[in-house]
Amino acid sequence: MGVLDRAQALALAERVLDASSADETEVTVESEVDRFVRYADVGPTQNGDRERVDVSVRVRFGGDEGYREARARGGGDEASALAALERASALAQLSPVNADAPPLGGAVEVAATEPALATIEHGFEDKAQWVRRAVGACAERDLKPSGILRTTGISCAVANSAGRAVHGYTNRASFSLTATGGDGSGFGERIAANVGELDAEAVVDRAVGKAVRAQDPVLLEPGEYTVVLEPSAVSSILLFAAYQGFGAREVEEQASFLCGRVGERVFPETLTIADDANNAVYPGLPFDGEGSPKTAVTLVDQGLLTGPVTDAAYARKLGVPCTGHAQPQPSEAGPAPENLVVGAGGASLEELVAGVDRGLLVTQFHYTNMIEPRELTLTGMTRNGTYLIENGEIAGAVKNLRFTETLVNALSRVSGVSREREVAGALFDGEVVAPALRIDGFRFTSTTDF
Amino acid sequence: MMDRAKAAVEAALSQGATYADARVNRLRREELVLRNGKLDSASAPEEAGVGVRVLVDGCWGFAAAPGTDDASARALAARAVAVAKELGPARVEPVKLAALNGGGGVAEYRTPVEIDPFGVSLADKLDLLKACDEELQGADETVVREASLSFRREEQWMASSEGAAIFQELVRSGAGIASTAAANGTVERRSWPASFGGNYKSEGWELVQRLDLPSHAPRMRDEAVALCSADECPAGERDLILMGNQLMLQIHESVGHPNELDRVFGHEVDLAGSSFATTDKLGTFRYGSEHVNLVADSTVAGGLDTRGFDDDGVPSDRWHVVKDGVFQGYHTNREWAAVAGETASRATNRAEGWYNPPIIRITNLSLMPGTWTLDGLIADTEDGVLCDTVKMWSIDQRRLNFQFTTEIGWEIKNGEKGRMLRKPTYQGQTPEFWASCDAICNADHWELWGVPNCGKGNPLQVAEMSHGAAPARFRGVTFVV
Repeated sequence: MGVLDRAQALALAERVLDASSADETEVTVESEVDRFVRYADVGPTQNGDRERVDVSVRVRFGGDEGYREARARGGGDEASALAALERASALAQLSPVNADAPPLGGAVEVAATEPALATIEHGFEDKAQWVRRAVGACAERDLKPSGILRTTGISCAVANSAGRAVHGYTNRASFSLTATGGDGSGFGERIAANVGELDAEAVVDRAVGKAVRAQDPVLLEPGEYTVVLEPSAVSSILLFAAYQGFGAREVEEQASFLCGRVGERVFPETLTIADDANNAVYPGLPFDGEGSPKTAVTLVDQGLLTGPVTDAAYARKLGVPCTGHAQPQPSEAGPAPENLVVGAGGASLEELVAGVDRGLLVTQFHYTNMIEPRELTLTGMTRNGTYLIENGEIAGAVKNLRFTETLVNALSRVSGVSREREVAGALFDGEVVAPALRIDGFRFTSTTDF
Repeated sequence: MMDRAKAAVEAALSQGATYADARVNRLRREELVLRNGKLDSASAPEEAGVGVRVLVDGCWGFAAAPGTDDASARALAARAVAVAKELGPARVEPVKLAALNGGGGVAEYRTPVEIDPFGVSLADKLDLLKACDEELQGADETVVREASLSFRREEQWMASSEGAAIFQELVRSGAGIASTAAANGTVERRSWPASFGGNYKSEGWELVQRLDLPSHAPRMRDEAVALCSADECPAGERDLILMGNQLMLQIHESVGHPNELDRVFGHEVDLAGSSFATTDKLGTFRYGSEHVNLVADSTVAGGLDTRGFDDDGVPSDRWHVVKDGVFQGYHTNREWAAVAGETASRATNRAEGWYNPPIIRITNLSLMPGTWTLDGLIADTEDGVLCDTVKMWSIDQRRLNFQFTTEIGWEIKNGEKGRMLRKPTYQGQTPEFWASCDAICNADHWELWGVPNCGKGNPLQVAEMSHGAAPARFRGVTFVV
């Protein structure tokens, strides 16, 4: 079975809308086909050939004072979807009135998308070849591999009783390798919208090369260093601005670094960050959790902080346009960017490194987390390849260090942006189209034993 | 449903599998979050599906799909077999499974529940949330008032080719409140009884009744406001007293995860990381002081991972991970117990629902109580900080260097609890930290704390477990700013 096509998904949504007696109803139909193989030195270790269909129903009962609303989710068969409608209706009738909620939005146009059949249908015999390549390359260097090859296709439709009916496809393919041996490790990963865009050889070469260069690490005293952060490390810290900072709710609740800074040029002019679901490198769904079209929003415009992203409710509350960044409502989470794209710079990674007298090249951060939101103070550990730079050249590997640094200060000291960009993720959810960044005076506060 | 699981197993065997298990799983949840008087989460999701796992020529295959009819379960088994056959040639060593440790038969387990949480009316639940919200009001600095209820019922029918036919019904409840204040350019939050939406246990509505959430709301409101003008906890070395609702995450991150045997062997390195607690340390390594006894127990009453059997069909177990400070045993499943040469699994193989294959997960893992009272511990501390409630956590990929921040702290000087401290952040190395534990409060202070959001695996799976802890003291800990 593949993912539901537009007609199938909207027809299922329509049957639920027809059955609803609520004043307003919104139905989301999401189907997924996912195939993955995890591997290690013994070859494939875990795998999954899986599919699911979820129907999520939001119902609202209106009145002069506002809406009572709730959501329930069920499976993709009609009986399960209608049972979800029933549960949501029962819950909504008892819910307190939300006076701030706007009516559901009507018909809109969104960009058409196509399913990536080569990604959706990528099979396990093909996957086995990629695994063999990674395992073999590691064995040649006496390294232990650990990684995953995953291909996913998603179809999503949102339809509501106000006449909205949108549908889109997203696809994702990823291949990663962490190579470990001796007293060092290296990491390589590619993430793309289509499996054909993945370069397995490049992933393996990068991970193995980094592991080889990570041997004999020396202990470096914590302190402030100029760092060159590769895209995976950049993604790991920038995603916290997406989780907690670039959304209207955090701004309204005074828990965002944007508070008091909108309109200020806080960062260098070389830094531009946008949220753009329609970007050519790694597109996302063209609509948000309420079916509103996602608009491209420049969040940092040549160093200048602009406004936050919004959803329909916050747009009304703040008197600003809806940018199309809603979570499925009602939700504990406010609007948030999910397709961050950092503007490319003009330097190569090698040129960024060449501009460092004494500093560090960081491959990846591990377990980054937020200490406080107003300055976005973060902490996390380096991993899988941390190298000392001396006089513009890699001088050797260092043991991993912990950083404790505010994102606002760090980004204000960006001194270089690479022209090459990659789709990079992190330990927690989310991905960013990110270049490498050179940042001066990045603060490391402790070290570890490896 | 059990016949459906058996049909999948029989289909897998008929197509060449040497081992097969199937789990038919039905999950019901109810999530209610009242935020500033509005229901920000009013959600009642349900899902059902089948996951089939097979071994063909020593290679795993797993397939999962919604729907629970017999024909689709058999078709799913065929897909799992096909996956194993297609990947098999790339497998270097065949998977072997350790003994079932007494499992493998017909069995049933149900969480003991006094009051079914799904039987309590929505009106009663909303009334409680509204009562919490009213008690959280009253301070101009408050920007977010939250009260939440969370309930979950998971039914699973598991059959295997080794004769297992196990039905389990697992029920858990959770509830909590939180208040966030903004003033003086800072934002501070206080949560009760713990972060992540409160405390959770394998119990029914009786847990919610016992928590008596509204009575704690005014203190959370006032402490959040007070934190906005409190002094920041200064850097330096001091003694640390951790309350149970913070100590539980210290246990989770610095003992639980490094104790998972698949991590130890490097199979989780690519995302979650590995472990410093390598097999050469088993039985000899000093993990902590002689006061430190850490017991894993998937039979303890109320634990979020209290069950009859794991997803290998192995009966629940109880063992020392650390005894009198010495490292004693791992969390295992049948596959990794065999690799390590152990005769039987510790029954910690669990999947998130029907959509995922099982992996080793931390079970309920607790620090055993000592002999102190909290008042006595404070009175015995000359220069320290008492830290309460998880705010931030981070640890390196081998689980050595950690840094944690709590929501609130109090300075202790000469045995007296003094000024409130904002953003207390302590950092250390796991074995040195546990070696510095010199006092643990007694059983009267001991509580099971639920972790509802433990992420591991790739694709990421979320599991739940509990950690029992009483307040404990750690000497000479490094505080950072």
